[in-house]
Amino acid sequence: MKKVSLLALGAGFLASLAFTPEPVLAQDSTLDIVKNRGMLRCQLGTPAPGFYALSDDGKWSGFDVENCRAVSAAIFGDPDKIEYQSVTSAVRFTAMANGESDMLSRTTTWTLFRDTQLGLDFTTVNFYDGQGFMVTNDSGVNSAMELKGATVCVLTGTTTELNLTDYSRTNSLDITPVVFEDSNVRDSTFFSGGCDAITNDKSSLASTRAKAPDQSIFSILPETISKEPLGPVVRQNDSQWKDIVLWSLFAMINAEEMGINSGNVDEMKASSTNPEVKRMLGVEGDLNKGLGLEPEWAYNIIKTVGNYAENYEEFMGPKTVMNIPRKGSVNDLWTKGGLMYSPPFR
Amino acid sequence: MSTGFDFLNSTAGFSIAWSIIDYEAGDTYFHVFLVGIANTLIVSFFAILATTLLGFVVGVMRLSSNFVIAKLASAYVEVMRNVPLLLHILFWFTLSSALPPPKQSLGWLDSFFLNNRGFYVPAPVPGDGFDIVIIMVLLGIVAAYGVTVWATKRQFATGQRFPAFWTGVGLIFGLPLLAFLALGAPLTFDYPALKGFNFQGGADVPRAFCALLFALVLYHTVFMAEAVRAGILSVSHGQTEASYSLGLKPSWTLRLVVIPQAMRAVVPPMISNWMNVVKNSSLAIAIGYPDLVAVFMQTSLNQSGHAIEIVAMVMLFYMTVSLTISAALNYYNKLVQIKER
Amino acid sequence: MTDATQSDTAFRPKPSLPPPPNTVGVIGWLRKNLFGGPVDAILTLLGIYVVYLILQFAVEYGILNAVWTADTYRECLDINKGEGACWAGIGAWFNGMMYGRYPDEEQWRVNLGGIILLLWLIPFWLPKVTGKIQVGMSAVLTFPFLGSALFIGGDLGIFLHVMAAIALTLFVSVWLHVTLCYVAGKSLPQTLVSVTGFADKDDRLHKYVLMGAFGIGFVLAMIYIGTWELQEVPTTIWGGLFLTLVISGIGIASALPNGILLALGRRSKMPVIRVFCTAFIELFRSVPLITILFMAVTMMPLFLPVEINPPKLAMVIVAVCIFAAAYMAETVRGGLQAVSKGQYEAAQAMGLSFWKMMALIVMPQALKLMIPNIVGSFMGLMKDTTLVSIIGLYDILLMGKAAGQNPSWLGFHTEPLLFTAAIFFVLCFAMSKYSQHLERTIGGGYGRR
Repeated sequence: MKKVSLLALGAGFLASLAFTPEPVLAQDSTLDIVKNRGMLRCQLGTPAPGFYALSDDGKWSGFDVENCRAVSAAIFGDPDKIEYQSVTSAVRFTAMANGESDMLSRTTTWTLFRDTQLGLDFTTVNFYDGQGFMVTNDSGVNSAMELKGATVCVLTGTTTELNLTDYSRTNSLDITPVVFEDSNVRDSTFFSGGCDAITNDKSSLASTRAKAPDQSIFSILPETISKEPLGPVVRQNDSQWKDIVLWSLFAMINAEEMGINSGNVDEMKASSTNPEVKRMLGVEGDLNKGLGLEPEWAYNIIKTVGNYAENYEEFMGPKTVMNIPRKGSVNDLWTKGGLMYSPPFR
Repeated sequence: MSTGFDFLNSTAGFSIAWSIIDYEAGDTYFHVFLVGIANTLIVSFFAILATTLLGFVVGVMRLSSNFVIAKLASAYVEVMRNVPLLLHILFWFTLSSALPPPKQSLGWLDSFFLNNRGFYVPAPVPGDGFDIVIIMVLLGIVAAYGVTVWATKRQFATGQRFPAFWTGVGLIFGLPLLAFLALGAPLTFDYPALKGFNFQGGADVPRAFCALLFALVLYHTVFMAEAVRAGILSVSHGQTEASYSLGLKPSWTLRLVVIPQAMRAVVPPMISNWMNVVKNSSLAIAIGYPDLVAVFMQTSLNQSGHAIEIVAMVMLFYMTVSLTISAALNYYNKLVQIKER
Repeated sequence: MTDATQSDTAFRPKPSLPPPPNTVGVIGWLRKNLFGGPVDAILTLLGIYVVYLILQFAVEYGILNAVWTADTYRECLDINKGEGACWAGIGAWFNGMMYGRYPDEEQWRVNLGGIILLLWLIPFWLPKVTGKIQVGMSAVLTFPFLGSALFIGGDLGIFLHVMAAIALTLFVSVWLHVTLCYVAGKSLPQTLVSVTGFADKDDRLHKYVLMGAFGIGFVLAMIYIGTWELQEVPTTIWGGLFLTLVISGIGIASALPNGILLALGRRSKMPVIRVFCTAFIELFRSVPLITILFMAVTMMPLFLPVEINPPKLAMVIVAVCIFAAAYMAETVRGGLQAVSKGQYEAAQAMGLSFWKMMALIVMPQALKLMIPNIVGSFMGLMKDTTLVSIIGLYDILLMGKAAGQNPSWLGFHTEPLLFTAAIFFVLCFAMSKYSQHLERTIGGGYGRR
């Protein structure tokens, strides 16, 4: 009897937890909170090559880290006033909802469900990705349609898991997913033949291949089975904060389009005659007012973090382990046939 | 963020690698919860069974007079209990990657196969009339229980003994066997066969299951063995000698004198060990075994966003299991404890 | 003549024969311990073969094919094709796995804190030191404050400043005490009293002397700590083995007192206390630690006002302490049950109060009996702290995982795990050996003979 009543007690306690009404976050705007704290709390994932990696002396760097740095530069004029939070994908949205993080900048796919039902707002896309498969060459598989009955390694808590199921059901492939929490374990399982194929965003497949003792025996299949628009996320209902994160990204994209980079930004600021450049760098007009930032916010971003192309080269380009070519891909500027497009700075 | 348990009725759009109850992508989140529970329970059940048996063996081995065996057993105990379980699980999973790929599977009798995906066995397919065999098993159990009760009563009354144990075994296995043969063996087997990437048909357990089971068993055996060793040592030698001088055979001494007393010291730590096995099976996520935490607290939580409700349900499940185990064994413990008057 | 007869008739035993050659020496030992019978022999040979296989693999992987110097994991792979370990990576990541993201130039603070704690605990092993209980209590109760002052740094705040000063004073007193015990053979309080000439005065005056001395030391420590200029290192960037030890250290230190209180509460005659303690223990014992951690880190902030927003590490430590206390409570309860009723009755007959009875009669016996289980729980707790990696605290395990995702060390995955396993083995093995030592020394009289 005692055990039963104890169990009932526990159940009651847990149920009451579950039905507690939505906590109301203080009404302060996120910008004020961040300014008062003097630190931006930016959420990254557990290390993923290219996007966010941890060095042996404890520094974060990567393509998504640059978003955090840009926002920090826009607010404080210093790109390193950041407290990085690195959490597993299982708790990423809860950590946003409970106010622990100010922004989330990790490979998170923009979906209708996430945008509308998790209390979050997606800002924009800073990297267009798509899901693909990688197999060993001697498996003889040349197309994802030949994966009938295969075992496929996948990472938990991602949209890839859902896409894989959809793809398998649509094409009656009867794929068995093996779900891992740790990409190191997933990759070594694949290398040792524990799965017939591995699926993930194509950018990550490239980094998985770079881990293998012999890279030449793996190939990425041509199919792209999903759209994976990745970008930073903020909490819902704070449109000023959303604008700051959004336009920090646009500033980097627009800078590339205008031909401004961290090397020539001082020169451009001093001598450019282009009114849009002048407006953007805070020489003319008062575009900063609506954002609640200093006039030189965009200048600070470009000066300290760089423009989009610089970041891409540094973390994704051919000189890195990722080695994802940009020319002509969707991630190129709209003027060169890609999708990277910034609304005008006006 | 919306709260409440409505999401349990909505469709979970992902598939699960392996489950012992039917599941397909498109079932509800509540169904996922059940699949997770079933997968956790099955691995915990086998782990508890093997841990208890192996624990007795290793516990006795540590007391062995053979130097190598005793040292081997204590080395095993030290290595196992001083390294976190998570690392054990990763170790066995990594080690199992040395198994051959499906096309070069280790086969036995063309019906059992072992490869780096899992272990494949023929699946029994019951034919017409197989129900009767199952009814016979139940009948056999009831009859065996009856015989035991009768034999005990008779022994108390007349002092004569009756081989109730072997009669019981005969009843439980014999009755169904007779029925099975009489019905013309209504059972066929579905053999696993290599098709495309892997074996199809038959029954299988994935490699992650095997690795998890190995790690859980080897890790928790240590605590069981320590409990058994302490239990045996706690029975004073005088008890054995007294029992010999009363004329009991060594096997009776062990069964009627030593083990019942040793069990008093063994049961309490065994309770917590069993509870720990169930709880620690939640580390399965590290190697991709779809247990409750993996399919529900990770995947479902991620896809639905209902963190509080999901974690609460998971906690409630573990609480139920742990409290059931501890209630059952506490009851047994009360029966065997020394009655202080 | 008589002499001869006497010597002939006197009983003179023949010298005893040497034991059969196959029961002594190496051969005898072998026969007795290894080849007692055919089954024994087979088991022995099998055992030796297993050991041989394991050793062979370990030597090949860990030594013969290992790479000791390389700048990236790719270099290691080029040399040994993945057939041996890449210990070079452990070298590169050693600092990270020890201190996490703690800044390199500030790591001396962590080391200093560790050394202070070790020095504080050394008197336990010195036989001539008196008042070991007080020494231990001072370390457990006040070191955490000194430690956090040292590790966090920055602006200490008045509370931490005062507590750190108290800790520092106590630490210095402990070592003055130890020195005096060895040099003069007297404890620190005795020396203080005799030096100030109060030795022949009333006992109550002695107390004033000691308090005065402590006050002077405290003021000096306050001034000294006021001169510290330490850069602030927030807990969010703590990591590695350091973090593991902080979490498990606090968990271990708090487990015993909290566990004792809970266990006493569970045996209390007051129903409210009993039900509360029983529910608390059973609830937290019956769910996996990972769900408790998950609740603590992601759920608790939802229920707390934003202004409080405690750091993640604090939440984790609270969760670990609760979990450890619930486990320890059951261990202590087992010990309490083993103390015979007569002891309680005798203590009550002597007129001892409840707390005196517990502190002086029951607990010492119960805890002595339970030493192996208590240390077992400590080891379990230390191993369980690896779970904080799942909720994103960069402990030694997660730092090791991060290593394999760094662009230069992509795929460097097995070696950090082996290294972590080795570290845990050393720590836990030391603990279990120490517990056996304790069992032999203070458990004497109860142990099996």
